[in-house]
Amino acid sequence: MGIDWNSFLEGLTTALRFENLLFIIIGGFLGTVVGMLPGLGAATAVAVLIPITFGMDPTSALILMGAIYYGSMYGGSRSSILVNTPGDASSIAATFDGYPMTRKGQAGQALTLATLASLIGGFFAIIGMMFLTEPLSSFALQFGPAEYFFLLLFTLSAVVSLSRGNLIKGFISMFLGLMMTTVGVDSQSGVYRYTFDIPHLSDGVDFLIIIIGIYAVGEVFYNLLNIKNEDLKVKSDVGKVWITKEQWKRMLGPAIRQGPVGFLIGILPGAGGSIASMISYSTEQQISKNRDEFGKGAPEGLAAPESSNNAAGVGAFIPLLTMGIPGSGTTAVILGALIMLGMQPGPMLFENQPEIAWTFINSLFIGNIVLVIINLALVGALIKILKTPSKILYPIILVLGFIGAYTLGYNIIDFYILIIFGLLGLAMKLLDIPPAPLILAVIIGSSLEQNFRMANVRYDSFMDILTASPIAMVFAALTILSIFLPKILNYLAKPKV
Amino acid sequence: MRRNTKFLGLLMAGMMGVLAACGNASGEAEYPNGNIEIVAPATPGGGWDTTARGIQNTLDENGLVEENMNVSNKPGGGGEVGWQYLAQQDSHAISINSSLLLTNNLLGQSELTHEDFTPLATLATEWISVAVPADSDIENGIDMLDRLKEDPTSLNIAVGPALGNNDHLSFVSVADEYGVDVSQLEFMIYESGGDVLTALLGGHVDVATMALSESLEQHLNGEIEIIATTADKPIPEDESIPSWQDQGIDYTFPHWRGIMGPADMTDEEIAYWNDTFSQMVETEEWGTLLENQGWDDFYLDHEGSVEFLEEQDQMYEELLDTAGMTE
Repeated sequence: MGIDWNSFLEGLTTALRFENLLFIIIGGFLGTVVGMLPGLGAATAVAVLIPITFGMDPTSALILMGAIYYGSMYGGSRSSILVNTPGDASSIAATFDGYPMTRKGQAGQALTLATLASLIGGFFAIIGMMFLTEPLSSFALQFGPAEYFFLLLFTLSAVVSLSRGNLIKGFISMFLGLMMTTVGVDSQSGVYRYTFDIPHLSDGVDFLIIIIGIYAVGEVFYNLLNIKNEDLKVKSDVGKVWITKEQWKRMLGPAIRQGPVGFLIGILPGAGGSIASMISYSTEQQISKNRDEFGKGAPEGLAAPESSNNAAGVGAFIPLLTMGIPGSGTTAVILGALIMLGMQPGPMLFENQPEIAWTFINSLFIGNIVLVIINLALVGALIKILKTPSKILYPIILVLGFIGAYTLGYNIIDFYILIIFGLLGLAMKLLDIPPAPLILAVIIGSSLEQNFRMANVRYDSFMDILTASPIAMVFAALTILSIFLPKILNYLAKPKV
Repeated sequence: MRRNTKFLGLLMAGMMGVLAACGNASGEAEYPNGNIEIVAPATPGGGWDTTARGIQNTLDENGLVEENMNVSNKPGGGGEVGWQYLAQQDSHAISINSSLLLTNNLLGQSELTHEDFTPLATLATEWISVAVPADSDIENGIDMLDRLKEDPTSLNIAVGPALGNNDHLSFVSVADEYGVDVSQLEFMIYESGGDVLTALLGGHVDVATMALSESLEQHLNGEIEIIATTADKPIPEDESIPSWQDQGIDYTFPHWRGIMGPADMTDEEIAYWNDTFSQMVETEEWGTLLENQGWDDFYLDHEGSVEFLEEQDQMYEELLDTAGMTE
């Protein structure tokens, strides 16, 4: 299918109608704010809005929900950069180099850089969505249990390999995370594992609570212990808002390269922004000239995951619009709302109601630009957060963390879990164990296990799983490479005497 | 002194009379006399949540309930968390239910069952379908059952999100009736109906059992083929879709949803909801909601629902037994 210019133009005009523009702006702003708060993600924001969309024109409702979703992608990295507390799973990678930039007194530039990288990623993804929607949705269907298993395995190994020079600690962190994902009902057998007869635990521990616990609460605990330690003080000099020419040059390559990568991963149902941003970060680290600066505030290290994450967010709409299959938690909520409004996303959408699909794609495009303006305008206000004294800032983070945890399950058991993970986060910080492998393992661990077990039902032996398809083989090879390539390169680079 | 007592007595009698009258008047006319809480035992956006919000909206728009209504989300444990919560509320809280209320208990995962609540209405059903990829060489339902009879492990069957749900049980009971060794069947359990559909579209499984509302769209578009349904009448969108009955197997299976309140509701409270829900299911909004969700009207009032749940409880017990899931 080529691009249908008539529907495209019609969509553009509808998206530019006054009320729809208003929805893009309101949704984008709301999403940015919600995205910044730990635990409160796009899914919650969209769900809370569902009653408001009753009786709304389905196209406008879709635009509003899309804008919130998209806004939260932009917002999520704000708190990662400023206070080392990711707003959601997909902005964890933004802490790796975003927070060090803040520590160096470049908070304003980090925020601007992340925004521009998001714009670039989103731009590529929207272009991809316009021209390649159909071939790409059939690409997504090629992923069966074997392919998913190796993709997920590769993601884990990519993140573990980030803890250079200290692989053991990376593995410890990963295994802790994998252990946590065994809590809850095992889907393949229906057996209850480690639920201690608490019904709330039967669905496992929500990974967002673990993120809030380890990052936000752990960070606050750590700072409480070191409240008088001047070394830890973030420089209150927040630097310039606009980025330098050199930073621009360094971010452009990664942002352009990782946009398409994130987009492709985003299309796969169930993969999404957290996997995309981690893979992008670790690939850039492997290929960058400034490899050693990664983790210490390298512009490349912030641009890559941000571009990728944003592109993945757009990609997640492809299975939703073309097959009626939600690729992420938020798109699942959006699907539910659209069905309530009498719209059926799926193979018939582009045929029967192309104007709705194209209006939406155009609204994403406009939304991207609107969000850059909103976010750049907010940079000045946001960096003031850093001037807030720790005694005020940390209690606020703690309260927001608890509110976020409550909205996930509406159950106070989550408070205890949150504190336990806060203490774990503190212990890991003191022992210098990186948290990212743990978090990623928590996010993808159960899918990794379930896909492996389904692959075992479908194929007769491990060799058959490995050779199930070229995709599976490529990811298996990448897994091994990501662990051993740095070692081999180091070995080769050693001057031979 | 005597006079005084008499006067006081009269006064008290009079006051009590007034109080009693008040009590009567307020009691009868005024249930509900506070906020109505509709408990959705699920996260915002899920099936139970949209049902709860749809009911709230329909009741409100048509002025059927004058009190304030709010939906509260209590997700977890396949409804268990929300129903535990409902059990502790007064009669101003009501909650969505489904067969999980019965199966959670039968599977030993919950202490609560339908007898711990007051069923208020059964509202809607949807049918369950068995589908294969468009290029599959499985011709129809019977062909599939024949293959499974010969070798129960010959086909990978996708189901989601958990064993013991309606999609799984209805498949097992048809196969069992046909003489397949159901303990050998190879199910692949996906996280959601969407994932089941993806697996089927990608050809990663041979067969899928899923809600008709989830498979119909792709069937109409020719991407997959529905080879059987548990319906008792033709599907309006495509009358050529065969039911199990059409293929000579006497089997129908409604996947219902209903609404209930806590235990020990008074007759008057039950009458109020009988009246309210019987009016709600006649409204245009409710009709649209059913149509959008791909559901069928299946209204039963309190008495009907009590009887229905009793029957269903027995049926599920037998089903789970067949599937080998009870201890």
